[in-house]
Amino acid sequence: MPSTLSFNGLRKSYGGAPALSDVSLTLAPGRVHALVGENGAGKSTLIKLIAGVVPADTMTVTKDGAPITLNSAGDALAAGFRFIHQELNIVPQLSVAENILLGQPGATRYGLFVDWKALSQKANSALAELGIDDIDVRVHAGGLGVGDQMLVKIASALVRDEGAEAPGLYVFDEPTAALSDTESEKLFDVIERLKKDGAAILYVSHRLGEIMQICDDVTVLRNGAHVITTPIADTSRDEIVHQMTGRELMDGYPPRIQSIGANPVCAAKNISSAKLDQINFTLRDGEILGVAGLSDCGQTEILRLFLGLERALAGSLTFNTSAAPRNPVQAWQRGVAYVPRERRSEGLMMTLGVRQNTLLPHYRGLFANRRAEIEKTRGLETDVKLKAVGPDQVVHELSGGNQQKVVFAKAIAKNPRLLLLDEPTRGVDVGAKFEIYSLIRHLSEGGCSVIMSSSDLPELIGMCDRILILHAGRQYDIIEPQGMQPGDLLATFYDHHKTSELP
Amino acid sequence: MTAHMRQFGTLLGLILIIVFFTVNLPDTFLTARNLINVSQQISMLAVVAFTMTIVMVMNDFDLSVGSMASLSGIVAAVLFSMGYPIWVGVGGALLAGLVGGLFNGFLVAVIGILPFVATLGTLTIFSGTAFLISDGRTIFGRDIPAGFSGFARSGIPLDTIGLEGLKLPYLTITGVIVLLLVWIILEQMNFGRRLYAIGGNIEATRLSGIKVKRLRMGAFALTGIGAAIAGLMYASRVASANPTQGAGLMLDAIAAVFLGMTMGKEGEPRVLATLVGVLILGILDNGLTQMKVDSYIREILIGAIVIAAVATSALGRRR
Ligand SMILES: Nc1ncnc2c1ncn2[C@@H]1O[C@H](COP(=O)(O)OP(=O)(O)OP(=O)(O)O)[C@@H](O)[C@H]1O
Ligand SMILES: [Mg+2]
Repeated sequence: MPSTLSFNGLRKSYGGAPALSDVSLTLAPGRVHALVGENGAGKSTLIKLIAGVVPADTMTVTKDGAPITLNSAGDALAAGFRFIHQELNIVPQLSVAENILLGQPGATRYGLFVDWKALSQKANSALAELGIDDIDVRVHAGGLGVGDQMLVKIASALVRDEGAEAPGLYVFDEPTAALSDTESEKLFDVIERLKKDGAAILYVSHRLGEIMQICDDVTVLRNGAHVITTPIADTSRDEIVHQMTGRELMDGYPPRIQSIGANPVCAAKNISSAKLDQINFTLRDGEILGVAGLSDCGQTEILRLFLGLERALAGSLTFNTSAAPRNPVQAWQRGVAYVPRERRSEGLMMTLGVRQNTLLPHYRGLFANRRAEIEKTRGLETDVKLKAVGPDQVVHELSGGNQQKVVFAKAIAKNPRLLLLDEPTRGVDVGAKFEIYSLIRHLSEGGCSVIMSSSDLPELIGMCDRILILHAGRQYDIIEPQGMQPGDLLATFYDHHKTSELP
Repeated sequence: MTAHMRQFGTLLGLILIIVFFTVNLPDTFLTARNLINVSQQISMLAVVAFTMTIVMVMNDFDLSVGSMASLSGIVAAVLFSMGYPIWVGVGGALLAGLVGGLFNGFLVAVIGILPFVATLGTLTIFSGTAFLISDGRTIFGRDIPAGFSGFARSGIPLDTIGLEGLKLPYLTITGVIVLLLVWIILEQMNFGRRLYAIGGNIEATRLSGIKVKRLRMGAFALTGIGAAIAGLMYASRVASANPTQGAGLMLDAIAAVFLGMTMGKEGEPRVLATLVGVLILGILDNGLTQMKVDSYIREILIGAIVIAAVATSALGRRR
C-alpha cells in the first residue's frame, strides 16, 4: 500500500559544525524526488540519517501521518526503505550472487547449507530486472569493473522475497556517477517501473541533465539548509544551479586559447598487453587526449601503461624521448601524475588528513616541513574548491565529491608533465567541475600533456583535443571531437561494436 | 566530546591506577626510589614496544621480537665468551637484530607473506638459533665482562637534585633515547609519514610512487634492532644470557601498542601513546607485586584491562 513519508526537522552536526540544519522533506508515492546541492551540502548526511546508520540530532518521521522510529539500519529496512549509498560497499571476496542476496534470508537447504542453485537463480533474476544478462553471478564481485559493481549493488537493493510487501521508498545516492550512459538508461527504466509500482524515490545526482529527465520534484540544499522544494516542471537547470550555489556560476568548458605544442611527449607504437591490442598514438606537449569506449574496454589500462602498472607485451612506449616509466616510483619522479579510477581503494588514505593525502607523492628530503606543507595544502584547497575545516581534516570526514577533489589536488600539486586522469570529476558538483576543467586547461596550456578517460561524454568532448575510441581493448579510431554531440560520440562506440561482430 | 573522552580515557586510566596505588601503598609507591625502579623495570619492554610501533603503523606486526631479544643476548654472550671485546659483542647482537628484521621485512614485503605467518615462522627460527649457538645453556659468570653488566647497574647520580644515593639508571636513559628517536622517525621524518600512508592504504600509497617494499623492509629492520637492543639491556641487567629470556616481551609490547592505539584520533598507533600503554602495564605490575597479588592473578588482571580498554574504545568509535 503506497504511503506518503514525511521527514521533519532533520538536524545533524559533527563536532559543532552543522551538516544539516532543520531540513524537512515529504516523499509521495509514485514520484521521483531529486535532492541536489553542492559537494558537502548535506545530501549524503540526510540519507544516512533516514537510513538509521548515523544517529540524528533531531528527526521526526511519519508514514501516512503515523510516527515511526528509525534508530538503526534494521528499522529502516523494516519500514520498507531501500538504499544505494554513495560509496560502493560490495564485499569483494564474495561472489556476485552472494553480494546481491547479502542480508536476505537467503536460499538454504534444510536451513543450514547454502543452496547455490537457488542463490544463482535469485541473483540472476534481480539482475535481469535491470536488463543485465552479461554479469556472471558466480564470479568474485571484486573482479568486476566499477560500473558493474554499482549495478550489482543496485540489484541487491531490488531483491525482495516473494509475498513480502513491496518497499515503499528507494534512495539512490549518486548511482550514475560510476555508470556509462547506456547503463544509466537501464537504471532509469527500473526507476520508472518502481515509480509505477507506487514506490517513492529519493534521487541524488550532480548530473542535472538526468535530474531534469527522470525526476518529478526537486529539493535544493545549500550548506546544510533547505533552499527550496518545487516540481521539476516549474524550474530549469539554470535556476537549480543558481539555487544550489547562490551565485552566478561559470559553467561549461573553458576553451583552448593557446595551440598545442610541437614536441611529442609520449607515444604508443603497436602496444599490446593483456587487455590492449594494437594501440598507436603520439601525444604532444599541451595536448589532451581522451580515451573512450563502452565501459571497461581498456581505458584504465592505457592510463596505467604510462604509470608502469600495465606491462606492454609488444610494441614500444616512450615518454619524453626515452622508455616509459617501469613503475609508479619512476613515473612520479619523471613528472607523471595519476588520478585513479576508484578514489577510496586506489586514491586515498581515508584515516589521514587532507595534507598528507595531497602531498604524499611530493615529500622531499628527510624531514617534514610542516609550515610549507600547510601553506601548500591551503593553496590547493582553494584551487580545487575543497570544502574542509582545515588542511589536516581527516579525509573520511569529507563528502564524496570533496574526497574526489583531494585525489585531483594530489595529482596537480607539483606541475606534472603528463597527467593521467581516470574519471577525474566523479561525484564533483557543477561549480567545482568547472574549476577542475579550468585547472586542467591551465596545466595543458602550460605544456602538460593529459590523457583522460571519462564516462561523462560532454566532458570528453568539451576538454579533449582528440579522442581515442576503444572497443574491447582494440583501437578503433582517433577522432577530433570539436562540435560533436554526445550522441555522435556514443554512436562511434557502437559503430565499432557492430563492425567487430561481423565475421 | 565523546571522541575526546575515548581518546583520553586511557590516560585517565593510567592516572587512576597511579592514584589507586598511591592510596594503597602510601609509604612505598610514590617514592623517588620506586619510580626510578619502575622506570628501569619497564625500560626493556618500552624499547620493544616503541620499535614495535614502527611496524604497527603500517598495520603490520612482528611476533618475533621476543625471540630476537633472546637471540641477541646470546650472540653477545657467545662473542664475549670467545674473548671478543664488548663493542664486538654489542655490534654482533645489533647486527643480528638488523639482519633478522630485514629478513622479516623481506618475507612480508617482497615475498608477500602475512606478517602473522612470517614472523611466527621467524619467531621459532630465531629461538632455535639461540638454543643452537648457546647449546641451550645459560651463559653467565666470567664469560660476561664486568663492563657490560656494569652498564645496567649504573647511572647518573642524582645527588645534585637532592636525591641522595639515587641514580638515574642507564637503562632508563636508553629507553628515553629510543623513545626520542622513534618519535623523530615517526612524527618528524618523511620516512615515518610514508609508513603512516602505507597503514592508511597500501595500494594508494604504491600508486603515489612510494617505494612501499623498501619502506616496509626498513621498518621491520628497525623493529629487529629495537628487539636486539632490548635483548642486550636484559642480558646486561641479569649479567647473563639464556635462549628464552626475552620470551615475555612480545605479548606485552603488542598489548602496550594496542593500549596506546585507543588514544589515537583514528585508532592509529602513536609512539607517545605507546609510552602510556607501557606505563600502564609496568606500573600495574610493580604495584600489584608490592601488594603481594599472586602473579597468576596479575596476568589475568592485565589481560582483562587490555581487553577492557580496547573494547571501550571500539564501542566508543561506533557512534
Ligand atoms: N563523519 C564526519 N565527521 C565530520 N564531518 C562530517 C562527517 N561526515 C560528513 N561530514 C561533513 O558534513 C558535510 C556534509 O557532507 P555530505 O557527505 O552530506 O555531503 P554531500 O552533500 O553528500 O556531498 P557530495 O556531493 O560531495 O557527496 C560536509 O561538510 C562534511 O565534511
Ligand atoms: Mg554525498
